[in-house]
Amino acid sequence: MTEFLETTVDKFIFRVATDRFYNGEGVWAKEENGRVRIGLSDFVQQRSGDVAFAEIKPVGTLLALGDELAVIETIKVNIAFTSPVTGKVIEVNPAMNDAPEAINQDPFGEGWLAVIEPIDWTADQTRLLDPQAYFIRMKTEAEEEAKKL
Amino acid sequence: MSKKLKNIDKPKVVIVPCSGIGKTYGTVSREAAYNLIEDLRPETAQLVPLSLLVLGDKNARQAVSGSPTITIDGCKLACATKMVQESGGNVAQDFAVLDVYRRYRQLKPQGIANLNEGGELLAHALAEEAAEVVDQLIAGGQNG
Repeated sequence: MTEFLETTVDKFIFRVATDRFYNGEGVWAKEENGRVRIGLSDFVQQRSGDVAFAEIKPVGTLLALGDELAVIETIKVNIAFTSPVTGKVIEVNPAMNDAPEAINQDPFGEGWLAVIEPIDWTADQTRLLDPQAYFIRMKTEAEEEAKKL
Repeated sequence: MSKKLKNIDKPKVVIVPCSGIGKTYGTVSREAAYNLIEDLRPETAQLVPLSLLVLGDKNARQAVSGSPTITIDGCKLACATKMVQESGGNVAQDFAVLDVYRRYRQLKPQGIANLNEGGELLAHALAEEAAEVVDQLIAGGQNG
């Protein structure tokens, strides 16, 4: 069962799953039997707003770490997210076509974006943030956002 | 019977849009409601402002509790739908602007006080869908 780090900023509660890694944009990467599942963090989905459309690179696409993986259109903004791993897209969440609100409803679960077959996951991990590091970064960003309100 | 009395006797569907001020999707919901009650179905649809329900206005509460109601929500908080339900109303159909936008992706709404062309067209598309529901409700009421 996934465990979470949790913080409250202003009236918002943000959670960070502790069983995966993150890039600086809040894209998470979770290793599963040699493959890596990718998704967006709770903070990212709350900050971005309700997702209207999600376009993910199709199966078969080769991605280097930092290449564009997905573009999300929300009621507020259009945002591009980059891949936290190098490898090939082998699965795209079918819910992204007809029910992209899954990103908002369950960002660490049913709202995953894609599965990537990594070339060197061990090397990629060294460039990512562990849950505690991302939690601190996320909390700082959330507090800065709250000051603007 | 006077024309005025005839109008009073006609059943009307109540329309309650989002009151989100300063939000594009809230503006789309209100523009759709105005389009519906002023242009598309002025004889069979009437507006009840969400703010009056929040304030507990007696006439507004009576309107939603006594007539089939269509709500138009600007976001997932669904304030219009929740407030109608809390006021004892019967939500016959709830529209969410985001869901309608997903069906008309080419009509991306922008702007707040004044919508862009996409927003105006999206509001009209939403109003057209709601008008069909109004017709169904009126027909159902007359048959039933």
